[in-house]
Amino acid sequence: MNRAFWLYLGVLVTVVASFMGLVQIPDHQLRGLEPVTDEQGVERPVRPEGGVLAGRQEYIGLGCLYCHSQQVRPEGFGSDIARGWGMRRTVARDHVWDAPPVLGTMRTGPDLANIAVRQPSAAWHLLHLYKPRLTSPGSLMPEYPFLFTEQRVELERPADALSFPTGDPRPGWVIVPTQRARDLVAYLGSLDHSYPVPEVRP
Amino acid sequence: MSGVSTVPNGSADGPRQELLARAAIDRSCRAPVLLFAGSAVLWLLVGSVWALLAAVKMHTPGLLTSWEPLTFGRVRPVHLNMTIFGWASMSGIAVLLWLQARLARARLPFPNLLIAGGVVWNLALAAGVWEISAGHGTSVEWIEIPLFWALVFAAVFAVVMAASLTMFARRNVAHVYVSQWYLFGAVLWFPFLYLMANALIHAGFTRGVTAAATNWWFAHNVLGLWLTPIGLATIYYLIPKVIGAPIHSYHLSLLGFWSLALFYNWAGTHHLIGGPLPAWLVTVGIVGSVMMFVPVVTVGINHHMTMVGHFHRLADSPTLRFVVFAGMSYTVVSVQGSLTSLRSINEINHFTHYTVAHAHLGVYAFFSMAMFGALYYVLPRLTGREWSSARLIKVHFWASAAGIALYWGPLTVGGWLQGLAMNNPDVPFLEVMTGTVSWLWGRTAAGALMTVGHLVFAWLVARMLLSREPAPAVAAGPEPAGEGA
Amino acid sequence: MTLVYGMIWIVVLGFAASAVGALVWAIQHGQMERFGSAARSIFDEEEPVGTPTDAFPRSPAERRP
Repeated sequence: MNRAFWLYLGVLVTVVASFMGLVQIPDHQLRGLEPVTDEQGVERPVRPEGGVLAGRQEYIGLGCLYCHSQQVRPEGFGSDIARGWGMRRTVARDHVWDAPPVLGTMRTGPDLANIAVRQPSAAWHLLHLYKPRLTSPGSLMPEYPFLFTEQRVELERPADALSFPTGDPRPGWVIVPTQRARDLVAYLGSLDHSYPVPEVRP
Repeated sequence: MSGVSTVPNGSADGPRQELLARAAIDRSCRAPVLLFAGSAVLWLLVGSVWALLAAVKMHTPGLLTSWEPLTFGRVRPVHLNMTIFGWASMSGIAVLLWLQARLARARLPFPNLLIAGGVVWNLALAAGVWEISAGHGTSVEWIEIPLFWALVFAAVFAVVMAASLTMFARRNVAHVYVSQWYLFGAVLWFPFLYLMANALIHAGFTRGVTAAATNWWFAHNVLGLWLTPIGLATIYYLIPKVIGAPIHSYHLSLLGFWSLALFYNWAGTHHLIGGPLPAWLVTVGIVGSVMMFVPVVTVGINHHMTMVGHFHRLADSPTLRFVVFAGMSYTVVSVQGSLTSLRSINEINHFTHYTVAHAHLGVYAFFSMAMFGALYYVLPRLTGREWSSARLIKVHFWASAAGIALYWGPLTVGGWLQGLAMNNPDVPFLEVMTGTVSWLWGRTAAGALMTVGHLVFAWLVARMLLSREPAPAVAAGPEPAGEGA
Repeated sequence: MTLVYGMIWIVVLGFAASAVGALVWAIQHGQMERFGSAARSIFDEEEPVGTPTDAFPRSPAERRP
């Protein structure tokens, strides 16, 4: 055994130790994470089901995360909180139900972790999905016309028909969201991480 | 003459035996390597189309929005998977099979199984990108293809691994050259990591931020334990072979390999700085990323000192141009990567186009240019033909080199400015968005230039593979006694 | 879940063991010595040190004898 061998072996032992750390300690830290119960007795984060869960699948299948993140960075690191993207940074507990999480790595568009707090209007989201530049001039978001259908107005205007600022594009016809659009907007309406968690001091 | 040796006239048996053995080895690689290489070039072309689509959609979002399979959120992952698992991985496999055959001085085993593997890989990738376009993508970055097809890829990886181990077991050389060590890293470690990540994330064994950490630990290993080792192995073999001079410091090259093998796969969590992970886990990723300075500087010094005195050869060797460009880019992108993982810098560039520019610097300026160089060296030796036009090769080189420089420069600046604006809460977000548009147009122009290079390259490859002119009887000779029995 | 972490442990320790094994093998088989000959192992009598092995293709005119 020469000196080089002991050097290499030492480095390798360090690596094994680091792997023990990378696997063991996060597991220990995160294994017991459960949702918290807020003042109204509701578990947060809420486990997605029904339309919200279907909407999450739409979000994934359409690739929304390639332009939108869902993680609020800590105060003082970037300006996520100063921009109003969250009251607090997001934590591991916020994602206990997410298999897989959609944290995202690009902010071509704004962060959505608390979009339900910032923009609770489903009607706004539907119009924005149909034609983003109607609600947000200069936006680089693409349109999602395939999430909507055109319907002839019979007797009554459907309750969920999109209402355009300058009137319907085609007289006698309205744009109506499909179930997919409704699910996606329900999911966006569930994105609220403003509840307090023990990891973040108020 | 692009490298096919002429048969010596009746001299001592030694050199002739060696020449014929090398020719026999090259010949044994022919069908599988040409299949993987040809497929890779086709995926490069299709991947470039999807790249241009994605690039244009980013600054002109109203383009082609009514057809759902072409929505940006699907075009972008389809582009990534076509270029990574199509162009990069298939050219990588072609080169690593040939290189290991050369290094072991052993013939490529079970070629028919490898050919089947290549066909299956193409089908699986086509199916995978079809699935993404149909809305069944997983939105787990770099693992968007659904689990079923990932298992098919893993099966082909296993065949490649088996071929590599077989050649090593049958090797006719005493020394294990540094490139072989790098390729072991690629063919032995990476398939297991690929399987693990797919199983852990897609089979639901992990969720939440654990799944996120697994995701980025894996995605960074595609670069660190798959593409980088293949690229470096290629450069370590081709620079000395082309210039006819050995590596400057072989000791350094081994140190560089072992330190890379140990440190690279720690770096993955640097993709999640500021995110909801335990802080220490992110710090470990940063430390691993900064430690990479050691192998990167080592490799950079080694390549440079090897080239000293031989830079004039860049004028007359296509392979050398591409491979030296790749080597220099490796140093640049890795130093940038180490710096980018520092929190103070990451605070600005995270979530911006800066990261996209960095990724392309690595996968294109380093890896793809190394693959171009390798294919310019390998294909004539497998087909026995010459490239049809020196001028077109130069067009390809300059289109790709200028293209990636134009891609990286403006997008890095634009991304940095985007990050600064985003960190200023007084700047409305829509203004942050519109501020990126001119830089994005620059990227589209650069991408168009790169695509021109790809079209030229594809033309050259097609001429070489499909040419009907008879291959000259050079280096093919009669079978040496005892072979092919 | 324990099964998963067990699997991860096995794979990770397997990697570390394989790396140690590879290093030990390399040292025992003299891979860390004779660097001069090691660097030259990719050359041979037909493509010796000092002989370039790549060039731009000649134009058809240049190729004609």
